[in-house]
Amino acid sequence: MPDEEVLEEGLLTPVEPVIQDPLLRELMADAPATAPTLDIPQEKGQPTTAPLEEVDCVVIGLGAGGAPLLARLAQAGLKVVALEAGPWHNPEKDFATDERAQDFLFWNDERLSAGGDPLAMGKNNSGTGVGGSTLHYTAYTPRPLPDDLHIKRDFDKGEDWPLTYDDLAPYYEEVEQFLGVSGPTPYPWGPRRPKGYALAPLPLNSAAQLMMRGAEKIGIRTAPAANAALSARYYQEGVGWREACTNRGFCQAGCSNGAKASMDVTFIPLAVKYGADIRPNSFVTEIERNAQGLVTAVVYTQNGQQHRQACRHLFLCGGSVETPRLLLMNELALSSGQVGRNLMAHPGVQVWGTFADEVRPNKGIPGGLISQDTHRPKGADFAGGYLLQSIGVMPVTFSGQVARGRKLWGQPLRDYMRSFNHIAGINILGDCLPHSSNYLELSDELDARQLPKPRLHFTAQENEHRMNAHAERIMRDIWEAAGATDIWAFNRYAHVIGTARMGLSGDDAVVDRDGRAFDVPNLYISDNSTFPSALSVNPALTIMALSLRTADKFLERERRRDA
Amino acid sequence: MSAPHYPAGTVRALLPTAHVSGATRTALQQRLDAPADYAPQFLAPETFALLEAVAACLFPQPDRPERPIPLAPSVDQRLLEGRADGWRYDALPPDREAYRLGLGGIQETAQALFLNDFPTLDTQQRHHVMEAVAGGTPPGAIWQTLDAARFFEEMLAELTEIYYAHPLAQEEIGYVGMADLPAWTKIGLNEKDDREVTMGE
Repeated sequence: MPDEEVLEEGLLTPVEPVIQDPLLRELMADAPATAPTLDIPQEKGQPTTAPLEEVDCVVIGLGAGGAPLLARLAQAGLKVVALEAGPWHNPEKDFATDERAQDFLFWNDERLSAGGDPLAMGKNNSGTGVGGSTLHYTAYTPRPLPDDLHIKRDFDKGEDWPLTYDDLAPYYEEVEQFLGVSGPTPYPWGPRRPKGYALAPLPLNSAAQLMMRGAEKIGIRTAPAANAALSARYYQEGVGWREACTNRGFCQAGCSNGAKASMDVTFIPLAVKYGADIRPNSFVTEIERNAQGLVTAVVYTQNGQQHRQACRHLFLCGGSVETPRLLLMNELALSSGQVGRNLMAHPGVQVWGTFADEVRPNKGIPGGLISQDTHRPKGADFAGGYLLQSIGVMPVTFSGQVARGRKLWGQPLRDYMRSFNHIAGINILGDCLPHSSNYLELSDELDARQLPKPRLHFTAQENEHRMNAHAERIMRDIWEAAGATDIWAFNRYAHVIGTARMGLSGDDAVVDRDGRAFDVPNLYISDNSTFPSALSVNPALTIMALSLRTADKFLERERRRDA
Repeated sequence: MSAPHYPAGTVRALLPTAHVSGATRTALQQRLDAPADYAPQFLAPETFALLEAVAACLFPQPDRPERPIPLAPSVDQRLLEGRADGWRYDALPPDREAYRLGLGGIQETAQALFLNDFPTLDTQQRHHVMEAVAGGTPPGAIWQTLDAARFFEEMLAELTEIYYAHPLAQEEIGYVGMADLPAWTKIGLNEKDDREVTMGE
């Protein structure tokens, strides 16, 4: 029996019963009002409730793309409703320091991973709940360097952004100050900044100390990394006090004390203060349009009830899988042919080693140290570049990687895992080029909601292979210099990017530089699906910066229209 | 070679203390208290017994002859509830089908190599069978339609994560990260907080 027949947690009613049996389907078509299906309670179609009052804006998804603009729109006095597929948690009470118990933070509906390097989803790449994947992001928030935005101009490969670093810099600063990013001032790489980080860096854990030791020996500069977790208590207007990080090291399984700047403790409380209406457990299935092609309403299921919310503007912020999936299912904004295309994922090779020193890798902020000396490495045989970071790790995550990547099992696996307290890692976060064989599509397989599961095709190309090889060599050198033995590499890709790209024209892009859909003037997209290139840094900070910029550009346009 | 590990009972001793949050304690205690006898609810009894034999081969626990850390029940529960972990190799069928096919394939391979059912094989023979499956080209008709290496990887990763989520397995590797209240203050090299016990012999 296929598992799509089983209803997922929190889902009581499929949107519309799909009749699989051809004979039954025929009978139903003849007599649509009679109801064999009505005998099965969980398949009963709920009556759509009366349309609620039209609001100015509906925001779909409350991660790094949706939450900042939600706050901005609410602050501007607009009537805004946010629809989030997952629940609203109370981290202090509900979040356990236990990886398996925290599985509910991930988008666990099945995605199909195809291609030569199938992308691990779930905990690797996706989130659900008020706060989205920021609930389990590592909080690593380096800025891209200016040339990240024009890789095509520099290498004649990939795609340029229709924006410059200077367009984004004020927003980076605003987000960093608002979240309370802890980091080094001055920052050793990139242009001089008018303002330093909000807080001093977080303390370096063992992995960070080891990477510093090894990198120094081979002449690579390092610095404490910028992390959106508080190195000291921090006050933000509209949010209040947040407590300092307690070095739990469980960022990727949810922060329980609010030190990590996930959206639920930063932009969302701000949005709520200004009157935003947050509706958790609300899964959007339909986007309605009028004869002119403008969005008029969205249909969503909340706790088994189907609802319709009319809106003047729609902000789609579901991330690089759910955003294109909704567009494809609704046949919306597809004229450029780019929805689902250009799927990119950051090369994220990890190198692990065993040390004589005691490491205890589960403690402290996982990504304590950074180097961007490899941003444009001299003599490199690939386009773009990558950053290096030290990594701490939680035991269950690590054991799974050892099983998959090192292919140990039986007694050798148990023996290796016994050195857990002496193991530390480094990894890279590298740029990725778009390629025609990497894309997202709707599959024929249906999920519990009777909606098509997305299928992600990803095969790393020559550029990624060369970058990985370069990076693995350097990381092995660092670890050897630091005194590691038993060094091994784990090949992986993280962050799905680029499936609804922004550009200068609707001929080859889905949205413009403001996030506005070329095809649908009252539809905006704000998440990592709009990135024209992958960037050589983690995406969260840029998603938030773009989100605020999209809100500002939208508000400017509205003001001009009113004037 | 016996590696250093925490003295027995470390995690059990920490669980009731104020170093462990309520939510954390509930999660871990549940695993410690899981009944030893589990009746499969999704897999047929003989398929479940086969999964247990496979799990025992992938995670030999000669150090726990009386009560090994149970692995197969979590798989059976997950398949029963239809829970997924967010993705699946496109090359594999849905999880329920993959497990049924894959376990059937392991039987076929056992029959092909040793003319016997997997659970009746001795330790070394079982190891040979699993090596063949892990290698990606084991004998057996089922493996013509099921990618053996991918299936093995998925099953191994699931069992591994179940094993290392157990408090006693965490104790075995010297991990007491669950006792994180009020904070970790010693996070550098060769540093430890008082409640992190020194690794003994």
